Amino acid sequence: MKDHLVNLAFNDTMQRPFEREIAGLIVETLRLEMSPDDIQPTQPLFGDGLGLDSIDALEIAVVISSRYGFQLKSDDERNQEIFASLRAFSDFIQQHRTQ
Amino acid sequence: MTSRLPLVARASQDALFRTHDATITTDHFLHAVHTMAGQLPLGDYVVNLCQDRYCFVVAFAAALLAGKITLLASDRSSDGLKALAERFGDPTALVDGTGEAKPLRSCLVAPDFVKSSGRLDIPSLPVDQVAALVFTSGSTGQPVAHTKLWGALVQRSITAGQRFGFVQERPASIVGTVPPQHMYGFETTVLLPLHAPVSSWCGSSFYPADIQLALEACPEPRVLVTTPLHIRMLLQDDAKLPAVAGFISATAPLDAALASQAEQKWKTEVSEIFGATEVGSIASRRTVQSDVWTVYPDIRLTRTGPEGSPLVEAPHARTFPLGDTLDVLSETQFRLLGRSTDFIKLGGRRESIARLNQILTAVPGVVDGVFIAPDDLETRPAARLLTFVVAPDRKPDEILAALRERIDAVFLPRRVVCVDTIPRNQVGKLTRQAQLALQESAARADTNAESIAGTFSIPADHPSLPGHFPGRPIVPGVVLLEEVFALIAGRFDGRSLKALDNVKFVAPVLPGETVTVSYRVSAPDRVAFSCRHADTLLVRGTGSFGSAPS
Repeated sequence: MKDHLVNLAFNDTMQRPFEREIAGLIVETLRLEMSPDDIQPTQPLFGDGLGLDSIDALEIAVVISSRYGFQLKSDDERNQEIFASLRAFSDFIQQHRTQ
Repeated sequence: MTSRLPLVARASQDALFRTHDATITTDHFLHAVHTMAGQLPLGDYVVNLCQDRYCFVVAFAAALLAGKITLLASDRSSDGLKALAERFGDPTALVDGTGEAKPLRSCLVAPDFVKSSGRLDIPSLPVDQVAALVFTSGSTGQPVAHTKLWGALVQRSITAGQRFGFVQERPASIVGTVPPQHMYGFETTVLLPLHAPVSSWCGSSFYPADIQLALEACPEPRVLVTTPLHIRMLLQDDAKLPAVAGFISATAPLDAALASQAEQKWKTEVSEIFGATEVGSIASRRTVQSDVWTVYPDIRLTRTGPEGSPLVEAPHARTFPLGDTLDVLSETQFRLLGRSTDFIKLGGRRESIARLNQILTAVPGVVDGVFIAPDDLETRPAARLLTFVVAPDRKPDEILAALRERIDAVFLPRRVVCVDTIPRNQVGKLTRQAQLALQESAARADTNAESIAGTFSIPADHPSLPGHFPGRPIVPGVVLLEEVFALIAGRFDGRSLKALDNVKFVAPVLPGETVTVSYRVSAPDRVAFSCRHADTLLVRGTGSFGSAPS
């Protein structure tokens, strides 16, 4: 039994507190039938990962704007990366938030 | 001798298209089109998959010039493109920088912005030249192709320009939030500038910030060509837009209250266009004023007989039956009635639920299956179709992946729900009551999905307790997790969780307390667990069976 802990890895895919906050916002805004804990920080948000699409991106953008005080734009060069995962998305918001 | 109409009916220095970096005149456009026409591969058909609006229009016009028919594919799933390949002799896909066209081979569209240009003659094309094929899905079989003749397309642009009052003395700037390849965006943002005094924005226009910047970059008068979804998002975002003379909305009915809010907030006039892929735009109305639609100047409505269904007559186009969705008031006016229940609209695309169901039941391993449109599908932007299947040997994720290859992404459900049976009635139909019962039982199944792994308690003399903490013993987190993992392994044939994804220690666990561990499978290879004493939540977290990254 003790072997479980010896082999246990607290690995880099643990949700950090701000990621949990953003995961909660995504689940709440889109009314996904899942717990925010279930969004893996490094899985893709779009297509084959969480399965979000562009309509979802628009809804999330509006909520981000009102809660964190900055606006998403299509011309941001980092757009592909920003939405690559919950981790990338949370990092981006953290860097650009004004409130 | 067939009459001809010019590719562009604008003056050489008129602005046709705009981006943040460039204003593209008729001359610039003609140069780009001639160059592209020379780069097209052999073949009678091309599939225009350009996502950039300027690339799209250059590719379309080049194909016209070269006498090729453009396939406006709205189904871009790999199955959809494969079907086009088989049906039309392997057409080449015209793609811009972001292009992904498998299994078609592709040709890159990358027009230059010509700095200095000599005047070019404007080519003209026969009115009966087939410019494009657009597709709608029937309830069975392959998509139905509809022919768009060049003459009809030009005519549409001219009458739309008349209906919305665009005049040479005050050319309007159009910013469209809609994609160029669907009929609405194709008519209003791609074709319109060629034959009406407007310019069309070709930069980004998706997020509220993009839309604001685009409108600010264009001269007045400005017109926003958009959909109810985007209007709702702009209102929610409290967007600060510059002066916009008019909003045009289409693809789904616009709620009059929403239109009124938009008119007041931005001091603008909101109109709607009514159309169908088969026949294009045919009518408009000022939403807040009336629920009566007036057809465009060259359109006539008729009936086949006293009980007959209404028909639409338009120049250069086949007479088109509109079904019982219209209440025809006169030759030129109608009201809308309820929608046919088989068709749904999502993201501006119309699809038949019967067809989706056919595709679903053809997925290997699916014994029975059904798509259900929830009641709020058209009012709540994040709402999606629900999918239930009977598929004893397959996992929900596998079926979702199979669907992703077969249907357009906008019709995918958030997840596939496996059930033991689909409660059909004696004629095989799912009544509305049965549908609601199915939805409800699936929701209940979710909340009851937790199973009990077992219980444990840590005795008062456990070696970890002295010092943790002196005088106030609390069971350390690692000891709790030990017990949780052991109990869960017991439920999974001895497989133990290899990694902890997150954990929250909500309340302290005291020695001697009986702790109940429950769990559910939250994702492939992932377990969410919780520990309770009586009803108090003590710990919750998720862990995975997969190997931890090094």
